[in-house]
Amino acid sequence: MRHAPPTLTSDCSLKVAIACTLLFSAAVQAQMKPTATPAHTVNDWQFGVVLDAGATSRALELGARGQGLQLGHSDLSAAGSVGNFFKAKLTGVAETHEGKLETSLEEAWLETTSLPMGLQLRAGRFASQVGYLNAQHPHADDFVERPLLYRALLGGHWSDDGLRLNWTAPTSQYLMFGVEAFRGKRLVAEASNAPGTLGAVALVAKMGDDFNRANSWQLGLSHIRNRRQAAVEDHDNEEEHNEHNGAEFSGRNTSMLDATWKWSPDGNNRAEQLKLGFETARTTSLNLGPDYGNRHQSHTLSAVWRFNPSWEVGARTDWLKVSLPDEDHPTGKIREHALMVAYKPSHMQTVRLQYTTQRDVTGFEAPAKNAVQLQYVMAFGAHGAHPF
Amino acid sequence: MRTRSDPRRLRAAIGSCLALLASAWAVPATAFTVFACEPEWAALSRVLLPEAKVHVATHAGQDPHHIEARPALIAQMRQADLVVCTGAGLESGWLPVLQQRAGNSKANDVFFASDYVIMIDPQPAAIGTPWAGDVHAEGNPHVHIDPRNLLLVAQALAERLQTDLPAQKVAIGQRLRAFEGPWQQRITDWGQLAAPLRGQRVAAQHASFGYLWHWLGMSMVADMEPKPGMAPTPRHLQRLLDGLRPQPPIAVVVASYQDPRPGRWLSSQLGGKVPMVVLPATVSEQADAKALTDWMDGLIRSLLPLAKR
Repeated sequence: MRHAPPTLTSDCSLKVAIACTLLFSAAVQAQMKPTATPAHTVNDWQFGVVLDAGATSRALELGARGQGLQLGHSDLSAAGSVGNFFKAKLTGVAETHEGKLETSLEEAWLETTSLPMGLQLRAGRFASQVGYLNAQHPHADDFVERPLLYRALLGGHWSDDGLRLNWTAPTSQYLMFGVEAFRGKRLVAEASNAPGTLGAVALVAKMGDDFNRANSWQLGLSHIRNRRQAAVEDHDNEEEHNEHNGAEFSGRNTSMLDATWKWSPDGNNRAEQLKLGFETARTTSLNLGPDYGNRHQSHTLSAVWRFNPSWEVGARTDWLKVSLPDEDHPTGKIREHALMVAYKPSHMQTVRLQYTTQRDVTGFEAPAKNAVQLQYVMAFGAHGAHPF
Repeated sequence: MRTRSDPRRLRAAIGSCLALLASAWAVPATAFTVFACEPEWAALSRVLLPEAKVHVATHAGQDPHHIEARPALIAQMRQADLVVCTGAGLESGWLPVLQQRAGNSKANDVFFASDYVIMIDPQPAAIGTPWAGDVHAEGNPHVHIDPRNLLLVAQALAERLQTDLPAQKVAIGQRLRAFEGPWQQRITDWGQLAAPLRGQRVAAQHASFGYLWHWLGMSMVADMEPKPGMAPTPRHLQRLLDGLRPQPPIAVVVASYQDPRPGRWLSSQLGGKVPMVVLPATVSEQADAKALTDWMDGLIRSLLPLAKR
């Protein structure tokens, strides 16, 4: 553990920052409502378990699931109120990674519930709210694998230690601005522990509204400033192993745009819904050196149609182009198309069958020409909410 | 596009951000704003506080269990001074997300109507498993389809509004009494009117009208859902059909937000002697006291002609 001392200091300063922020926010909240009575003093803690099992005929390039039977993103979570002014959530995750079962603490955060003026502060470990999908647990996705964009540039599901401040505007249209500061270790494939660096800062703006009873939309803009350099680190380092799910391709600046449009007859989304989503991301300032490219780019476009309360079909197309530090292959490219059908007898169960093909691949070693994946997700206890 | 920060561009960006902030702050202080999860609570809010601005999250054509936390709803909750919902797990799939996204401290202390009534079919031992369906441990959450419950909720809501708006205490009390008297009378009238329905059997989908059957002394002999919250399956419908043939119910009842096809199939297979009846699950989004009365009246009058002697 050569890097232990700097890690320790940066961890300490982060902890101090989190502790100070929480104390401060508690004081502000207490002052705002001096005679505040807690909403429901009863114990509102809820517990839930989600199991995600899958079988894959051939592993996808940059995919999260290996060939054969695998445990996907399965979690055990607890969420509820802490005192009068905070909500907290804890989530532990188990999944198979390269043939081994790995466990991790994915979420452990506290969030204010009573700050004035639509402000919210969150501290701890949580998933960044960048993009449309990142804050969502992967087992709630519409497809077996996340879009290439997330798998290549954000490590699939970017969850990290840090702080978040959000402000929701008191406008008739939904408008939210948020800033997050993270350690940023999971945003790079191999983290260096340069002392004194704030890892990553993410700025997010989201807006949305109902167009009419049947149609609604949401737009999101995100920017990540990643100060953590992707310096090559000692491969025996234990820490590096734990942080395996870091992003494969990183750079100093990442900009993202996401647009979602949903239609359901008369707004009754249980019966029928069409959901269209587009996301695009560009990472620049890669620091690969003067001889190589300086940009990663990815787009994803998906359509999912729920044609009956229990059945959904969907199609997605992904496009990825990355700069590689390789003279023979300075550019890596993948086009990926996926088709899926899902059966959801209730919202506690999903069976999904997906066909995926990766085409026009250059610079990657093991693209999957044809892959079939079967996924079964089941939930026990507190059922997951339905974000837009 | 280089991301080197150009001071002019930065200044312009900050300027537009500030302008946006200013425009947001400039939103004038409006009337007391109520966010109602369902139209029936919006109607009661209007009865007690006619000058309130009322946002209604759902309508009779939507399944209230399966609402998405749409951006428009987040914005409405952000503006709310009081949130009025059913509770008992009915909104557990979306209300917590709205509260979390809206960041409105006034939306924490939700008025849950189900806290003020006695719920039917509580299942305290229920644990949510993937095979049990959507079980509500507290009981059937569709509490508004019993006029006696509406009265209890109106009384509790009046008390809550009086606490939140002390200056309006007397006026709210008067409006409550103006609602209570006639409503009490109607409960008696409806009880007499619906006497022929006592003991009658119906097939239905989900426990949506559970309180209506309970109130009128009717019995629901078949549920088209194999498990609560699961869509009807052909196999389950076939089994129901076999069970119902010897002694058919008076009607197959479907709520306004449910797919009518399974009910239509069951009705036709029962030889056309058992009509399918689509009942509105709640009032319209603009409803007032009169609309509540008309709705309750309509529920009874659509079933009455089907009563068998």
